[in-house]
Amino acid sequence: TMLKSTFTLLSWQQQVGQYYTIPSAQLKKAFPNGLPRRFQMQIKTFNEACVMVRQPGLELISYLKRADYAKPALRYILFGEVGCGKTMSLCHTLHFCSTQGWLVLHVPDAHLWVKNCKELLPSSSRPTRLDQPIEASQWLKNFKITNEHFLSKQIKTTRRYIWTKRESTEEGRPLGEMVDHGMSRVKSSSDVVGALLRELRLQAGGATEDAFRLAVAVDGVNALWGKTSLKKEDKSPVSPDDLTLIHNLKKMLRNDWCGGAILTTLSQTGSLFKPRSAYLPTELLGEEGFDNMDPFVPIPVSNYSDKEFESCYLYYMDRNWLQHPHSRTEEGRKELLFLSSRNPSILERLCSFL
Amino acid sequence: MAATIASLLKPWTPRLCPVRWSRYNPYYLEPEPRREAYAAPEAELTPEERELKTTRSIKAARANDNSSPYNDPIISKFINMMMQDGNKILAREIMTQTLEAIKRKQVEKYHSGPAAEREGIECNPYAIFHQAIENCRPVIGLTSVQKGGRSYQVPISLTDSRRRFLAMKWMITECRDNKHRRTHMYEKLSQELLAAFANEGNVIKRKHDFHKMAEANRAYAHFRWW
Repeated sequence: TMLKSTFTLLSWQQQVGQYYTIPSAQLKKAFPNGLPRRFQMQIKTFNEACVMVRQPGLELISYLKRADYAKPALRYILFGEVGCGKTMSLCHTLHFCSTQGWLVLHVPDAHLWVKNCKELLPSSSRPTRLDQPIEASQWLKNFKITNEHFLSKQIKTTRRYIWTKRESTEEGRPLGEMVDHGMSRVKSSSDVVGALLRELRLQAGGATEDAFRLAVAVDGVNALWGKTSLKKEDKSPVSPDDLTLIHNLKKMLRNDWCGGAILTTLSQTGSLFKPRSAYLPTELLGEEGFDNMDPFVPIPVSNYSDKEFESCYLYYMDRNWLQHPHSRTEEGRKELLFLSSRNPSILERLCSFL
Repeated sequence: MAATIASLLKPWTPRLCPVRWSRYNPYYLEPEPRREAYAAPEAELTPEERELKTTRSIKAARANDNSSPYNDPIISKFINMMMQDGNKILAREIMTQTLEAIKRKQVEKYHSGPAAEREGIECNPYAIFHQAIENCRPVIGLTSVQKGGRSYQVPISLTDSRRRFLAMKWMITECRDNKHRRTHMYEKLSQELLAAFANEGNVIKRKHDFHKMAEANRAYAHFRWW
C-alpha cells in the first residue's frame, strides 16, 4: 500500500516502498542544485517532492546512526546499474542528515568539474595547478544556501589565509566571510574552496558544545580518478590531479579526519571513456581510485522489487500522471513492468508519455 | 469472383511502375495487428473465414505496427510525416517528448489550480492530440480545373485521408517555419497543439483562410463535373 507522510525518523523495514514528502521550504535550502533533473521536473509538475523509501537508503541511514564519530570517517559507496536510484538514495540520506543538524557538503556531480569547462585559469597559489573559477563560485553559492546557519555563527578560521597581495582573511573570522570573499572575487574561488575544506576537516566532530558532524557527499566519485576531457593551452591533456578543486576534494575523501561520514555514488552516465555496461566499483574507479577509497562500505542499489514497483505505479495513478486508458488496466501495468524491466528511470520515462 | 482473384496469382507486375506506393499484388490482404481479432478459437470460425485464413496471402506487417493497445495509427502517421532522412528514432523521440510536454503543462495546471477547475482540465495528451488534429481539419478544399485554356481554382469536398494529411502537414510546417529558431521542436509542437485544442493559434487560422478561399471561389463550383 502507499502511504504519504511528512518526514519522521525512518528505520523500519515495513516502510520500504512508501513515499515521504519533503516540505518545499526545506527543499530549496537542502538541495539548491543536488537533485536529478527529471526529479526536479517532477517536483514542478506535481507541486510536491515525494521520495520513495528504499532499502539502500534505509541501510545507509542505519549505518550513520550507529557509527562511532570519535573514530575516523567511514566511506560509503552506493553503486548499481544505470538508472537504479543511486542519486535519489543519496539525496534521501542527505535530507536525513540535514534534519539531524549536520553540516552537508554536497558535490552534485563531480563529472561536471572534469569536462566542458569554459575557463581554465592557471592557479594563483601553485604554478602547476589549474583553477576553475565558474564551477568553484557556483558551488560556493550553493554551499552557502545549504549551510547558512553554520557559516554565519559557529565556525571560525584557524589561521590566516592570503589570497592575493592585497586580500587575506584573518584568523578567527567566521567562515561565512571567507565564503563571501570567494563568491565576490571569482579568481581566487578555487583556493577558497580548498581552504574551506581544510577548515571543515580540522573542526568537524570536536569535543566542544557547538561541535557539528560533517557529511561529505560526492555524486560521481569515479570522476576524481578517471581522465578529464580538458586540455591545456598547449593541447596537452589535463589529469584530474592538476585541477585545484579535484585535488582538494581528494584530500577530503581520505579517512584521516573524525566526526563525520563520507557518502559517495558511482556514476556511469556522466563518466568519460567508460563503457555503458560498467557499474562495479573496480570497473568505474579503476585501480588507483579503488586503492584510494579502500576500505569502504559498498551499498548495492538494484531495480525495483515487486512491492516498490506497485508503490510507484499507485503513486503515478494517484497524481493523475498515467493518462493512457490502457495503462490504467491490469494488462497495461504488466506491459509497463515488462517494458521497463523494473528499472526506475526507464519506468519514469515510459510513464511520462503514456 | 474466385476465378478473377486467383488469376492474380500468376507472375504479376503493376501496370504503372510505383516508386513510393506499395508494390504488392492486389490479391494480398492487409495485416491485422490487433490481438482481439485472433481471440476466437478455431471451431467458431465460419467456412468463409476459415478459407480466408488458410488460402489468402497477407502482406508483411510494418515495423512500427504492434499488437499492443498503446499503438495508435494517427500518432504513427504523424511520426512518419515528421521523419526526415529516414531518422525514425529521432522523430519518435520528438513525438514522445511532445506528448510528455503537453501532459506536464496540463498536470501542472491540474495540481496548482483550485479543486473546482479540475474537472475541466484535460490531461490526456492523446485526447488533446486527436482533438487538436480534428480541429485543424479543413472541410472543403480547392483544386485546379482547366477550362477553355485557363485554369480555375474550384472548391471540392476532400476525402478523409486528404483532410488528415493536410491537418498534420500544416501543423508540422507551422512549427518548423514560423517559430523562433532556438526553441526545440517538441516545445513548439506542444504549444501549437494546445492552442489548436482550444481552437486558436496559427494552424486554425490557416484552416479558416483555406475555407475563406474556397468560399470566395464559390462561383466556379459548377466547373466540377464529378
